[in-house]
Amino acid sequence: MREVSSGYGTMRVIHGLNFTIDPGERIGLVGLNGHGKTTLISTIVGMTGWQDGSIEFMGQQIGGRRSHGVGRNTPKIVRSGIAIAPQGDAIFPGLTVEENLASGAYTEGAWKTRKQRRDAILEVFPPLRTRLKQSAGTLSGGERRMVSVGRALMADAKLYLVDEPSLGLAPKISIGLVDALCKIDLGDGAMLIAEQNLPLLSGRCDRILGMHAGELKEDVGEAFGDIPPAAEM
Amino acid sequence: MIELIASGLVLASMYGLVAVGISLTWSSVGMLNLAQGFVFTFGGYVAFLFAQYMAKNFSIRDGVLLSLGVVLLGMIGSAIAGLIVGGLAFLPLHDRVNFPVRGLIATLAISIMGTQIFMLIFGPQSKPLPQIFGIKRLKIGEFSIAYGQVGTIVVATVVLLIVTLWMRRSRRGLQMRAMMMNPLGANMVGVSVRTTGMIALAISGALAGLASVLLGQIFFVSPTSGVQPLIVGLIISLAGGLGSMPGTVLAAVLLGFAEAVTARYTEQSFVPFVQFALVIAILTFKPRGLGGVLEDVRE
Amino acid sequence: MSKYEVGRRRLIPRWPVRTSSLFHRVRVPGTKRSLLRFEGRYNPKTLQRELILRDKKPLFWMVGLFALAAIPIAVGQQLVFSIFGSICFFAAINVLWTLIIGTAGLQSYASLATVGVGAYAATYLSITYGIPWPIMLIAGTLFGALMGFIISVPARRLDGLYYALLTIGISEFLRSYITQSESLGGQFNGALFGADRIVSEEAMQTSSGQTISYLVSFFVLLISLAIFRLVSGGRIGILLRTAQSSKEDESFAAAIGIDFQRARLFVFLISSAALGFVGAFYATNQGGASLSLFSLDQMLLLLAMIVIGGLGKAEGAVVGTVIVVFLNQWFTSWGPWRIVLVGFLMLASVLYTRNGLFGLRQQLIEIRERRKALSRATRTTRYGAFLPEQGPEISDKGVIAEREFERAIRDQLRDWITPEIIEEHRLSPLGQHSDHLERILNYFRKQPISNKYVVYCESAFQAYRVVALSGIPGVPPRLVDDKTYSNLDEAYHAVFLRRINDLKSQH
Repeated sequence: MREVSSGYGTMRVIHGLNFTIDPGERIGLVGLNGHGKTTLISTIVGMTGWQDGSIEFMGQQIGGRRSHGVGRNTPKIVRSGIAIAPQGDAIFPGLTVEENLASGAYTEGAWKTRKQRRDAILEVFPPLRTRLKQSAGTLSGGERRMVSVGRALMADAKLYLVDEPSLGLAPKISIGLVDALCKIDLGDGAMLIAEQNLPLLSGRCDRILGMHAGELKEDVGEAFGDIPPAAEM
Repeated sequence: MIELIASGLVLASMYGLVAVGISLTWSSVGMLNLAQGFVFTFGGYVAFLFAQYMAKNFSIRDGVLLSLGVVLLGMIGSAIAGLIVGGLAFLPLHDRVNFPVRGLIATLAISIMGTQIFMLIFGPQSKPLPQIFGIKRLKIGEFSIAYGQVGTIVVATVVLLIVTLWMRRSRRGLQMRAMMMNPLGANMVGVSVRTTGMIALAISGALAGLASVLLGQIFFVSPTSGVQPLIVGLIISLAGGLGSMPGTVLAAVLLGFAEAVTARYTEQSFVPFVQFALVIAILTFKPRGLGGVLEDVRE
Repeated sequence: MSKYEVGRRRLIPRWPVRTSSLFHRVRVPGTKRSLLRFEGRYNPKTLQRELILRDKKPLFWMVGLFALAAIPIAVGQQLVFSIFGSICFFAAINVLWTLIIGTAGLQSYASLATVGVGAYAATYLSITYGIPWPIMLIAGTLFGALMGFIISVPARRLDGLYYALLTIGISEFLRSYITQSESLGGQFNGALFGADRIVSEEAMQTSSGQTISYLVSFFVLLISLAIFRLVSGGRIGILLRTAQSSKEDESFAAAIGIDFQRARLFVFLISSAALGFVGAFYATNQGGASLSLFSLDQMLLLLAMIVIGGLGKAEGAVVGTVIVVFLNQWFTSWGPWRIVLVGFLMLASVLYTRNGLFGLRQQLIEIRERRKALSRATRTTRYGAFLPEQGPEISDKGVIAEREFERAIRDQLRDWITPEIIEEHRLSPLGQHSDHLERILNYFRKQPISNKYVVYCESAFQAYRVVALSGIPGVPPRLVDDKTYSNLDEAYHAVFLRRINDLKSQH
């Protein structure tokens, strides 16, 4: 990612970012509310109002100058191997949990092996096992988030983008969720987790990037001391 | 009695085909397709041209192959018309402000133009379609049913079942249902709203084409022959709850039987009365229609 | 009102005057309105007295309506009379329909059907009971109101497109009812003639008869415009505009005590009654009613007029009507192509404009503004020290300098954070510290009070917890986590660590 800027309308949210994600890496992205974490993720999948600079994914140009058609290229980008678990719950409330998970397996290969993939995800999120046939709209907040993240993991993507997995969840549940996320074997896939709580990620990721006011601060390092992650603001 | 059931089912299957198409478009694309009448007539004319061509060049006027060809070409023609509507109204508008109302107006404009263009090309006279199921009657005990009626019911039921199963089982069907629930979320799991929307339009077009060919057996094809099915289809999909396949089929059966019973025991002129009373009664008790779940979910 | 760049002013028409009654305004009798908004003033440059026209719209209206009234009378041909007669008739319907769709926000497509009900009712009464035309007009109005009442019943329960479908269905249903009803001319394909006329059939052959008939049509258009102005520009229009554009707006309107449902139905009833009146007028002008009043094609043509002109505006409805009716009736030799052209215009206006012809100007202004803003946003490089969304909005350079200073301080402090410093603080949270640690602590001390971490004493010498202040008087601090510390020093250190971690994640 080189010299990337983006924003919505007249707002410029991201200011000339440069960074690389290596295969198999797990990166935490830390920053306060409104400092551009979500926008960065949206920029990668082409959901911002406009963007500038170049984003390269596996040798292929997926970014570039764009100023209209929000989200028009998103499916193409997503299908080229980027899985995204968006902020909040973008699940399909009328479908069952099983169908929700299956909808994440959008590539031909992933669709054929969706049973095995689903079982692998149920290993990570055991609470979903009993709710497979249930409509996703009736789940609790934590379970919805599991479905949302699980759906992203169903794809055999090269890059997983997870936006605010802890948002709106009780501290215990969010710790469990992040732990699970960091335990999953990604193969050569990389993962980017955006999060407000530094302590929640520290020690669990390979690298932690700080984000402030739309600019990136390389390698924040580990959190000091043994303190539990803060509750949501 | 059997005749009554048969005619009720025939009407139900015609209405069901058109209404399911409208309902499908609405729920997946979010646009009320008022050009469905145009799509309907388009398929009818394609089938007519095919039959005319076969009759002129190969002197084939009936037979299984011709029937099959007429049905297939009607469906393909209407699917193409559905794609035309999508290209004109859905693709340019779907991410603009106020899409539902603008899409509705755009489809209305297409239907205005369509009717006039048919008028220019084919003239105002009705064109007959070949009798695809033959003209014999099936005898069951002392009753007899026309083959056409049986064929219509069977074909419509089979096609609707196939579409329902396809929606339930296949990947495309899953994607389409995902798009109904949450277009933005679907976008993020790699479902292209544009491609999937066009597929939905083509499928609903094909359903309308099938209905057109089947209805063409009774009423022939004319530039304005799409209006009546469009209105009835709209009303049924409304009563069934836009977006719900089972609800729509149930409403189609209800209204089809209401029409058959009314037409048999009273006058034909009471039919619209009864249908309207029924629809208004349904909507009074269930403002979202019989199977209306989608709207609440979408909120 | 949009912003204008320096040096580009709107053209304001002005006339130098010599009268002494500069500030005297001619008002419409009985109201406080003046017909054209002339304002007197002294020109600030020349100090001459002059009149300026603040709002050019009424001027355009007057010129336009005068042209509409005068052209056919000046030309005096029968074809021109009939074209302009239809223009007035359809424009009257469209203006009232705009009131329903635009002002009331009800997607009703049964307006033409309401006109039809008025026309058929008036004709039927006139034929059966021989009533004269003034009573026909009253009867039409009443039947229109009745029809409006009937179709407004489901409007409370159904919303948006559902209601649109239902109204399309209702008009289609009325059409098929009339074709099958014997007393309403079903045997003549719905044509019911023989009603009393304002201008008798013989008089219609003469030019003065045609003129009178046309002027009556024009008067009907004026009446509907007046109704539009009174309803949409009055109190009820303001109430409805609050609840217009979305579901949230409706909730908002309800929350501030506007019964928008009632206001809507009221507008709906008024316009339905007026539509019935227009229908009765049609019957008295044509001597009867025909089925075209209920046909879907005619309804679509009316919709095309509104869409081309611009939805929600009276001028849009009138100008759209002029365009479409002129295309439809003047170029009759083109055959079906002219309707195709109308459809094409409709499609183009819905694809490329946001609100028809009269929305174009606003749309162009917005496009220009957006282009400017976008190019400005892509060029921006400053403001890195801010929350991104504040960037372009801060105009005070002092604030910018202060933020950048703060940022430099944070960068410096971050470099000083080392495990040794943390250890030093852990050993003695209070008392004398090394220079670096002292500076870091000073930075923390001067941070604003909101979201500041402090120690909360649950029970003295036993349990302490970390809380964050709300910064708002009366709002209690919130607990940050569920950990308790047994002595004060540990709690101090926990607060310190939290602040350090926050500093690290800031830029």
